[in-house]
Amino acid sequence: MASVKKRLRPGESAVLWMSRVILWIVIVLTILPMLYVVTASFNPTQAYFSSSLIPTHPSLANYQTLFQQGQFLVWLRNSTIVGLSLGVGQLLITATAAYAFSRMRFFGRKNGIMFLLILQMFPNFLTISVIYYALAQWGLLDNLWVYILVQLGGSAYNIWLLKKYFDTVPKELDEAAVMDGAGHWQIFWKVVLPLARPMLVVIFFFTLIGSFSEYILAGTIIQSASNYTLGLGLYSLISNQFAKNWGEFAAAAILSALPLTIAFGLLNRWIASGLVAGSVKG
Amino acid sequence: MSTGQMSLGQRGKKRGVRGRMQWSAYGYLSPALITIAIFSVLPTLLTIVVSFTNASAIHFTNPSFVGLKNFADLFNMNNPLAQVFIPTFLWTVTFAFVSTTLNYFVGLFLAILLNNKNMKESTIYRSILIIPWAVPGLISILIWQGLLNQSYGQINALLHTFGIFDIPWLVNPFWARVSVIMVNLWLSFPYMMTVCLGGLQAIPEELYEAAGIDGATFWQKFRFVTMPSIWKISLPLLIPGFAYQFTNFNIIYLLTTGGPARNSTQFAGYTDNLASAIYKMSLQFSRYDLGATLAVVLFVLVGLFSWINMRATGAFQEVD
Repeated sequence: MASVKKRLRPGESAVLWMSRVILWIVIVLTILPMLYVVTASFNPTQAYFSSSLIPTHPSLANYQTLFQQGQFLVWLRNSTIVGLSLGVGQLLITATAAYAFSRMRFFGRKNGIMFLLILQMFPNFLTISVIYYALAQWGLLDNLWVYILVQLGGSAYNIWLLKKYFDTVPKELDEAAVMDGAGHWQIFWKVVLPLARPMLVVIFFFTLIGSFSEYILAGTIIQSASNYTLGLGLYSLISNQFAKNWGEFAAAAILSALPLTIAFGLLNRWIASGLVAGSVKG
Repeated sequence: MSTGQMSLGQRGKKRGVRGRMQWSAYGYLSPALITIAIFSVLPTLLTIVVSFTNASAIHFTNPSFVGLKNFADLFNMNNPLAQVFIPTFLWTVTFAFVSTTLNYFVGLFLAILLNNKNMKESTIYRSILIIPWAVPGLISILIWQGLLNQSYGQINALLHTFGIFDIPWLVNPFWARVSVIMVNLWLSFPYMMTVCLGGLQAIPEELYEAAGIDGATFWQKFRFVTMPSIWKISLPLLIPGFAYQFTNFNIIYLLTTGGPARNSTQFAGYTDNLASAIYKMSLQFSRYDLGATLAVVLFVLVGLFSWINMRATGAFQEVD
């Protein structure tokens, strides 16, 4: 900042240009696959075996097929139900717990979150043998709500993130509220929660976006095509008759990824600050 | 904290809010505790129980306890099961180690390049490089499955123009493993890069200036100022990274379905890791007992690494 228009030394200049060239190459490698998918989505059938980025016969045929014949909208609806339920559920379940860890005194407060984090080192999707075995015996397979319920466990990591955020809300505000006669519930609901809105949004979207990438439990529990999530649907598109479905798959992938990618971009700053708070101690 | 307690303590009648044990706290905790107990703890305990039984399609309604038989089968080299399990186990560990290390160093390298104050446009590069992180992983992996298709995929079409013909990406054991690691790199480097960049930018400028006054070279500044600061944020990043890659189901199953298949056995292919083997055991072969046993092995593996993580980094210890 201090040195305005300082001329670069030759060494610095060489480093700068070498860095640029490397970064340009990496950028090409990073976005090329994405561009290929966009191309494929606009290419009508059978025209995809080509390294060209410009569609040979550009058309919206793949998008039309997707909406007219496929079950894309069903998958989208199911995934939206799952994502929204899990996002809201996660907030309801973790917010009060995070408040307790941040503001209340109880046995287990000191090591409670650590204990929960250790418990959850073993992700519950590894227990699919038991989950499938139990659900099959109770006749609860192939049910979207069961799929949601199984994932509805409170996340210790989210409790921890939220607790750290609650800690940054000045305690003086609590004291002011107490003087006005507020109890814990009012402090939680009227003081701490509104001020923690950015972190609530981050956790909601983390959960929502994460739910779109869940496959193993969906594949375990859901069976009929009318209950497919986007993940199962896209997988079935690309695994059956790849050559025939690639264009349609590309269109579906773009339509489902685009809103989530944009949401991620908009939230990027919040998410990054949340991650730094989570990963760097202190 | 202490001043708050003082002022509240002086206002005797509001004592309840701070100071003493508050039973209502457990009410606030109960939604989280109950759901964690039902959906995390209970399935884990049941998995351990089932790993000692013969629950499968044949013994669906009448499983019985078989002691340590399942575990013995996995580690007894004469048993056909062990001949699948041991290579799968080794590949799980190799994949986690190679992938995490590679992702981290590529991320760190790019972060160092981007952290150049002379590069005015580095924010633009950063926002482009972050794209693979922003796209839901499941969708990207499936896209890669298509792009890497041997006959129809655009990657081979592109290589074709450079005179390289038909690499059997997902169908040859060696290339399938290369594909898994490279696609995982594409997916994961932006996260590593972002966290490393955050760490680099947090290094106070004065440290570099002081080193410059002492006559430090570019390399010395990197070695004695940058590296120690990076190392501090790297461990909490690397070790959970290992734990995560140990159980990474999506990258394997959605890219190669664990294939190509082995000639000797149907249970697990060349790229199957323990997580995808559990899935196949349970859903394709209805061997809930073996699925559960593999899960217990994976629990031990992850638990061991998490324990090392806690010891090495002291993460989460400040909770109070």
